[in-house]
Amino acid sequence: MPCIPASSPGIPHQHQHQHHRALAGVGMAVGCAAEAAVAAAGVAGTRCGAHDGEVPMEVARHHEHAEPGSGRCCSAVVQHVAAPAAAVWSVVRRFDQPQAYKRFVRSCALLAGDGGVGTLREVRVVSGLPAASSRERLEILDDESHVLSFRVVGGEHRLKNYLSVTTVHPSPSAPTAATVVVESYVVDVPPGNTPEDTRVFVDTIVKCNLQSLAKTAEKLAAGARAAGS
Amino acid sequence: MAEICCEVVAGSSSEGKGPECDTGSRAARRRRMEIRRLRVVAERGAEEETSGKRRRLDGGGGEASTDEEDREVERARYGFTSVCGRRRDMEDSVSACPGFLPGHHFFGVFDGHGCSHVATSCGQRMHEIVVDEAGAAAGSAGLDEEARWRGVMERSFARMDAEAVASSRGSVAPAPTCRCEMQLPKCDHVGSTAVVAVLGPRHVVVANCGDSRAVLCRGGAAIPLSCDHKPDRPDELERIHAAGGRVIFWDGARVFGMLAMSRAIGDSYLKPYVICDPEVRVMERKDGEDEFLILASDGLWDVVSNEVACNVVRACLRSSGRRERNRSSPTSNLSPRQSSSSGDEAPNDGAPSAAAGSESDEESAAEEDKACAEAAVLLTKLALARQTSDNVSVVVVNLRRRKL
Repeated sequence: MPCIPASSPGIPHQHQHQHHRALAGVGMAVGCAAEAAVAAAGVAGTRCGAHDGEVPMEVARHHEHAEPGSGRCCSAVVQHVAAPAAAVWSVVRRFDQPQAYKRFVRSCALLAGDGGVGTLREVRVVSGLPAASSRERLEILDDESHVLSFRVVGGEHRLKNYLSVTTVHPSPSAPTAATVVVESYVVDVPPGNTPEDTRVFVDTIVKCNLQSLAKTAEKLAAGARAAGS
Repeated sequence: MAEICCEVVAGSSSEGKGPECDTGSRAARRRRMEIRRLRVVAERGAEEETSGKRRRLDGGGGEASTDEEDREVERARYGFTSVCGRRRDMEDSVSACPGFLPGHHFFGVFDGHGCSHVATSCGQRMHEIVVDEAGAAAGSAGLDEEARWRGVMERSFARMDAEAVASSRGSVAPAPTCRCEMQLPKCDHVGSTAVVAVLGPRHVVVANCGDSRAVLCRGGAAIPLSCDHKPDRPDELERIHAAGGRVIFWDGARVFGMLAMSRAIGDSYLKPYVICDPEVRVMERKDGEDEFLILASDGLWDVVSNEVACNVVRACLRSSGRRERNRSSPTSNLSPRQSSSSGDEAPNDGAPSAAAGSESDEESAAEEDKACAEAAVLLTKLALARQTSDNVSVVVVNLRRRKL
């Protein structure tokens, strides 16, 4: 089934254009505001539908989560990569090596584990950003479904109760040569900021990282093809 | 902003460190200060040698412009210091190039973020680019001096920014070694401020991009020659919004919640919202009123006001001018622990003898350089004492012309 992005219910179209203008790139993001959640009369535990239409159906179930209540927000970023899914996944899955594709990483040290579920890492962030470090636990590492999830459990930053899910799957239009990566997250809205502020900030980081991932994986795949020929 | 950072630092230090760690940390800082102070002297000496060589080259083939022939070449008297402070890494760079153009002196402070290589490149290349652009602009006789310098600086900053981005692509140009291995796209979050001053016979030209700052002390008053590029400065906020960007208050006003300045060299991931266009100011010099110029990174300005900085420097230069033995006034602002390191400096000799002639002139010039360096160190110590959370880089330039 082809993946056709469409506007999500309750999200104004202008919102998406704002993001497109904000950072030129393939990544798209859509989220829901706490106010919208309340307006939708969501009951605690109800499934959040904010990403419907944006997240490809093949992986939508991995990005489902409960409706974020007041004080929380969520978003999903989609990145298209011109490289096979296996190459992309080989980079994404290295929880112990975020520097391989993520920006803003100054260093990473493992505090527990060896890369599998339960691994705890301490990421030190480069200077100039409003964060010094982030302590993160690997929650899911599924090599069959190509799903990785981590939870932020500490560090010096303002993103509390951050939970991220990243999926990698072959692009329907070119399954052997292109990949669709989706990263979604749920996080508390910090005191003094709005859900919109929080999404703009986190989406900027996630988009930068996924764009970097695309370039890294494409370079890796090009190298592999050169070796093969 | 500084307070928030201090709280964070204080919190983390109280969590993890016992008294031994604190002692080690303090000792390490003192050691770095001592090493830096030695480096200040070494760097100044090295610059003098470079300057001498440059002057010979200029003398051989350089063409002097009309207005410069009217003036005797003024010797630069300056000092600078650059310290890591509380930050984990040193990402600042300072550049001082006396006589980089006939009758002109170049000074620059570059405060890097994300990594050090953009600031390092600025320190190495900005003055060379300005020389190129000034040479190219020499032919445009129609422009007045102000318009000519404005054009030179705008083109120089654009070229420096392009070089900072190009060097990230692993171009042939020799790249400084640094942590991020300069691989795109992983290092297009690296950037630097740039505050640059060109001191000529008749004008001081200041070009600024970012939140470092230049302050002129004239007739006892502190006159800012640059205006910090903060994202919430009304005109910067308007420009960013017009370009489709966002400014979010996230530990201070930041572009997309990320960068705390609205203009920088580098940071290509945030273009076109974070631009490298400098604000240029061309100030006519006023003999008898102009005292000195201070260029410094926000590690100083976040914790020391323009006025306090000018008072500290004036006291330092004045005490040197009077050759007083008593230095209590400049050091009284510092904590006892830090002011003690000033105590080991030997007091000046007695009154200068008029019979010494040229020897006396040379001694006087060296003394003035030393006073500028001491003023820079004092400002740095003051910033550290006031718990600045950043690297600190300071350049002090004496602007008083000596009577013939």
